[in-house]
Amino acid sequence: MVGRVGAALARGRVPARATLWPAAWSLLLAVLLLGGALGHGYVLSYDMVWVPDLALGRDALGTGTALPRAVPSDAVVAVLDEVLGGMLLQKLVLLVPLVAVGAGAAALAGRGTPARLVAATVAVWNPFVVERLAIGHWPLLIGYGVLPWVLLAATSWRTSGTLPARVPLLLLLGSLSATTGLVSAVALLAGAGTSRARRWWAMGALVLVANLPWLAAGLLHAADATSSATGADVFAPSHEGLLPAPLTFLSLGGIWNAGVVPPTRTGVLGVVATVALLVLAGTGAVRGWSRVPEPLRRPLVACWAVGLGLTLATWAAPAATGWLASTVPGAGLLRDGSRALALAAPLAAVLAGRGAAAVVGLLPDALSRAMIAFACAVAPVALMPDAALGLAGRLSAVDYPTSYVALADALPALPPGDAVLLPFASYRAPDWNDGGRPVLAPLGRYLPRRVVVEDRLVVDGRAIAGEDPRATTVREALAAPTSAGRAAGLRAAGIRLLVVEDLPGHPVPDVTGREVWRGGDLRVVDLGAGRAVPGPPRAWTLVMGASWAAWCALPLLGGVLVVRRSRSKSSR
Amino acid sequence: MGSIVAPIVSCIVGGGLAVATLMGVVTSQTSAPEQSPGNIQSPDFNYGITAE
Repeated sequence: MVGRVGAALARGRVPARATLWPAAWSLLLAVLLLGGALGHGYVLSYDMVWVPDLALGRDALGTGTALPRAVPSDAVVAVLDEVLGGMLLQKLVLLVPLVAVGAGAAALAGRGTPARLVAATVAVWNPFVVERLAIGHWPLLIGYGVLPWVLLAATSWRTSGTLPARVPLLLLLGSLSATTGLVSAVALLAGAGTSRARRWWAMGALVLVANLPWLAAGLLHAADATSSATGADVFAPSHEGLLPAPLTFLSLGGIWNAGVVPPTRTGVLGVVATVALLVLAGTGAVRGWSRVPEPLRRPLVACWAVGLGLTLATWAAPAATGWLASTVPGAGLLRDGSRALALAAPLAAVLAGRGAAAVVGLLPDALSRAMIAFACAVAPVALMPDAALGLAGRLSAVDYPTSYVALADALPALPPGDAVLLPFASYRAPDWNDGGRPVLAPLGRYLPRRVVVEDRLVVDGRAIAGEDPRATTVREALAAPTSAGRAAGLRAAGIRLLVVEDLPGHPVPDVTGREVWRGGDLRVVDLGAGRAVPGPPRAWTLVMGASWAAWCALPLLGGVLVVRRSRSKSSR
Repeated sequence: MGSIVAPIVSCIVGGGLAVATLMGVVTSQTSAPEQSPGNIQSPDFNYGITAE
């Protein structure tokens, strides 16, 4: 019944023809979705800050003072942008995962072009992707793109008993942040888990090494690794518009930030799109489940249950999440629980695809079947049209102001030492960023210098405490009553330079010092030599060095497997 | 039979999707500025706003 292609899928191996057309279709959708984001310049939106050349500093390596939120993603970017440049790398990072998730969902859906194309569309064009793009969670989207392929490879491992050589690399790509690493780990365990203890040890070792940089850095920062309980309430998954929360989550929406929810999700169209998805998925569950390759069914359901369960739990019990985050180091990962919906997407896409195929199969003639298949494949786009063209222009790429470029060029000639960025606020909404799009202060990453930035967030006018002790010290120094006192406090915190952005409506406190550079809306003030800031403890350097070495060796394991298998084949 | 079904199906489904898309475009172009991430204006550099 499943045929040749289905049999290959059942073994977790994906024939090229199962993904060729869906990949082309996904590429078309991804280009339509990203629109102006693929143009010249950088997409700067909320947490997504890309710069021409990110420095491989202590924070990127996990030995800085801040919690390792961007480990290992920043280190990977810092290395790769030396080859590709930050701009091209960002385009690839935005585009490739969308194509990958579409092609991967099609491969999971089993036989039939309608099922594959609809699964691809649902995987690419859904609220989860759109909202995470808008808020700039690109490492999560890379993990999301890799997820179907982790499921396929893990299933192949379970059914064949042989570790596919691609698993280490997939896990590495799927673990560029802590949340994403957990998502990929769940997919691996769900797909490859058997009753054999040896298999669990092997899976555990792979997951551990793939996540080692952020795990090790997190343990080194364990003393500061608890998070604000308020954050759990603010970042809890949320309903969207007319939809109650559980239905919002079932249709893959529910981000905490209403500012990044597409307007169509909050109106009647959001309800129509949700009903359409649930009807198609329900039809697929009833009439098409038997056509989903059998070995993939359990992993798909397990991932969906974990993803939806976590989202519902953090929505229903934000107080418990807050208590955990403020008590258990690292439990802050549970905040923003709708990130776990990445795990629910593959099953939603597969069921929608199978449902569409079942409906198409009821029609009497080829023309009707073709038209309904096409309608099902474009329906997610038609029902959320404001996601098109870079979220209706909200993801347009912009150029950095010339003052940024000039300061980065001038900085090596300025006095050495750490800098603080003023106004001391974590986010900006500069006019040059598409008329005032919010973004994490870009200068903190743009300048080739250690820049201390505020890590406290403001949501609904409420401040949510950060975790970087150095930012707290700087905040306290800036609160001193006199300009000389502020300067002395900053020098005692090891700060030499102030980088001041002139942002209308955002005055900065006077700090005694000598202006050493000015250009456009930026100026640099030298406070005089600050207290020497000690480097990371030697033990930290050793631990992180070993962690990075193990992490870098993981792709080599895949290479070794390939070479060994090709040798054993040729010797037969 | 098939020659009748196809045009009817195409009219219903195509028309429905066209209306939905038009509604969506109108909704997105006329939504309140607060809902647009590109237009959030806040003196406190708000990171976000939660749903009411």
